[in-house]
Amino acid sequence: MRLHIEVKKLTFSYGPETVLDGVSLTLGQGDFIGIIGPNGSGKSTFLKNMAAILTPTGGEIIIDGKALQNWRRRDLARRLAVVGQGAGAGFNFSVEEMVAMGRYPYLDRFGSLKAGDRRAVERAMHLTGCYHLRHRGIFSLSGGERQRVILARALAQETPCLLLDEPTSFLDLGYQVELLELLRSLNLRERLTVVVVMHDLNLASRYCRKLFLLYRGRIHACGGPEEVLTREHILEVYRTEVLIEPHPLDGKPQVIPVSTVNAGSDKNFQKRVHLIGGGGSATPLLKELFIKGFSLSAGVLSVGDSDWATARRLGLPMVEEAPFSPISPQRHKQNLELIEAAGAVVLAPLYVGPGNLPNVKAALYAQQQELPLVVIDDPAVGERDFTGGEGELLYRRMAEGGALFLSRPDADAIIKSLFSSPNG
Amino acid sequence: MRGRRFLLFALLIFIAAGVMLAAVGIGAVMMPLREVAGIIWSALRGALSRPFTPAETIILQVRLPRILLGFLIGASLSVAGTAFQGLLQNPLADPYTIGVSSGAAVGATAAMLLFPGAASTFTVPLAGFCGALLALFAVYRLGSVGGRLPVVTVLLAGVVVSSFLSAVISLGMLVANEQMRNIFVWLAGGLGQKGWPLLLLIIPYFIIGLAVLIYLSRDLNLILLGEEDALSLGVEVERTKRWILVAASLITAGAVSVSGMIGFVGLIVPHAMRIIIGPDHRYLYPAALLGGGIFLVAADTFARTVIAPAEIPVGIITAFLGAPFFIYLLRRHREKYRF
Repeated sequence: MRLHIEVKKLTFSYGPETVLDGVSLTLGQGDFIGIIGPNGSGKSTFLKNMAAILTPTGGEIIIDGKALQNWRRRDLARRLAVVGQGAGAGFNFSVEEMVAMGRYPYLDRFGSLKAGDRRAVERAMHLTGCYHLRHRGIFSLSGGERQRVILARALAQETPCLLLDEPTSFLDLGYQVELLELLRSLNLRERLTVVVVMHDLNLASRYCRKLFLLYRGRIHACGGPEEVLTREHILEVYRTEVLIEPHPLDGKPQVIPVSTVNAGSDKNFQKRVHLIGGGGSATPLLKELFIKGFSLSAGVLSVGDSDWATARRLGLPMVEEAPFSPISPQRHKQNLELIEAAGAVVLAPLYVGPGNLPNVKAALYAQQQELPLVVIDDPAVGERDFTGGEGELLYRRMAEGGALFLSRPDADAIIKSLFSSPNG
Repeated sequence: MRGRRFLLFALLIFIAAGVMLAAVGIGAVMMPLREVAGIIWSALRGALSRPFTPAETIILQVRLPRILLGFLIGASLSVAGTAFQGLLQNPLADPYTIGVSSGAAVGATAAMLLFPGAASTFTVPLAGFCGALLALFAVYRLGSVGGRLPVVTVLLAGVVVSSFLSAVISLGMLVANEQMRNIFVWLAGGLGQKGWPLLLLIIPYFIIGLAVLIYLSRDLNLILLGEEDALSLGVEVERTKRWILVAASLITAGAVSVSGMIGFVGLIVPHAMRIIIGPDHRYLYPAALLGGGIFLVAADTFARTVIAPAEIPVGIITAFLGAPFFIYLLRRHREKYRF
């Protein structure tokens, strides 16, 4: 029979403390769902409510059309198997005995394992790679091996649905991937429904078809990994600045932590720094200043250009122009607006042509607005001016106006100058 | 594994029979095995005529009931200890941990104080049994939280009830001048002068309790994996714990109310059997039954012969023999055996 689980407005509290506050979701046969969220968000509690280990204080869970509290445990254990966090066992049972305990819901009280039970036990041990350990006592196993034995026990239950609570927590990278690959193949081949609580967002993104991001006992976001793992969601929930990059192979969003919000040591410079660049000239500085915790903006950048890609990844406010088009007056004006709102401007060593000359003019405009201006002149402007001298002229005016010229893109020197300037 | 287990059980049964038979022959009057076997066989066939010969009296009225009682008490304490160690998930637990035995002691002490002259053969055990049940009730009520029996609270409730009752006993002993020695001897535990009726009195509790424990043995195995794991494997954890608590307490109450607090058997035999036969309670209970019986019969035989005609309280012997044996087992299996 196809599995159907419906969780309706589930609430749970430990005494006065509400852990789950109205969580709803629906699960069908063959789903592969990840529950993610920061520590204390209620992930494990949610799973334990689904597994009838904890009793909900409100809402309901309906499995195959029948409310969870009306299920006999034995019957439920034939529909749901649980791989919990505790890899504990009080006594030194052998691996085979442990896995065979997964057959408990099928056995008569005094009956022994039938042929079918033995097959299920052996298959589970083979799948999880612990067949060769079957005569060993579990006390002699490593944490990772024990974890696999517990997974084997759950598989021996032969349920259509598996609930896993941080199953990879004791495993090294190799076993983590191995375990998730196993779950994926069971999910694809046998339509095993998998619900897994995970800490590792990147693995969750790669293996789960749908993610539920829990935060303070509520579902903060749900959907495909692309919808859930966004910079904004991560910032809201984990309070951490991250970059989201597509995985090079399958394009699934991967989360790369940057730094915590404004954790840079240079707290005193509160205003935004505006970078003018193009063609990749601003990228090193954008990254370095970003890491140091500066708030940044950029303009005018051509769509598809590598500076543009960097600014987009970092989620910076910027002015964009269509690819291979000269900067339009409208974009230029927007750029000037960003500059006016900034606390300092850095002009990256861009190649100057007729199309992007407005960018150089924008830098000059900043100086006229008496904003601190840093010009990176490496290579020197003469080597990268293709406007017949017009660009060089603008640079000279900037130098005369007192702009700081640096011969290399030295972020520390820029920072120093920002703090020494009266506007800093 | 199966073959090994079968052999071990065959061996245990053989040793049990041998030890009991030998114990019947050993004593102030030594009797050859042949004569012992002959008298028992005749008695079983109902072929003995009264009045008994002195040899028949010694065997049938004195030694046999004592030895069978010893076996039953040893088996009771050891099976109950196994159950408590599993239920409380604590290697230091024994039948006396949760205070049921202290309840029995209070009951017995009260009976000795209130009816000093009465035929104490029955009043003391009955009062002891009632005391044990009251203590169990107290532990159960104190230990349950919102309809559940968390292991830690049961353990704490047991320890609290136990120490409270110990204080009551101490007070009773202070008040009782001439009965003090009787109370002390009863508390130290012993198997002498009990006879057939008491044996028959506690057999039902043992059988019922044991049946419940064996019925729930697979469930207890799973609970030992952790209660959450057991729940997800389909075990009705709370119901199972309740029944195990009651069954093991009943067995303890029966044993303690008849023979007092014989120490060490219920702590050490379960561990020894777990080392030998493994942690699976389906086999551990029968093994503990046999092992506990053998151990106590052997210890009691030693206790009543070593300084004959006087007797050493058997509890002293169990500790004397048990501790070194246990240390030996533990050291030999240190790597493999962890609770």
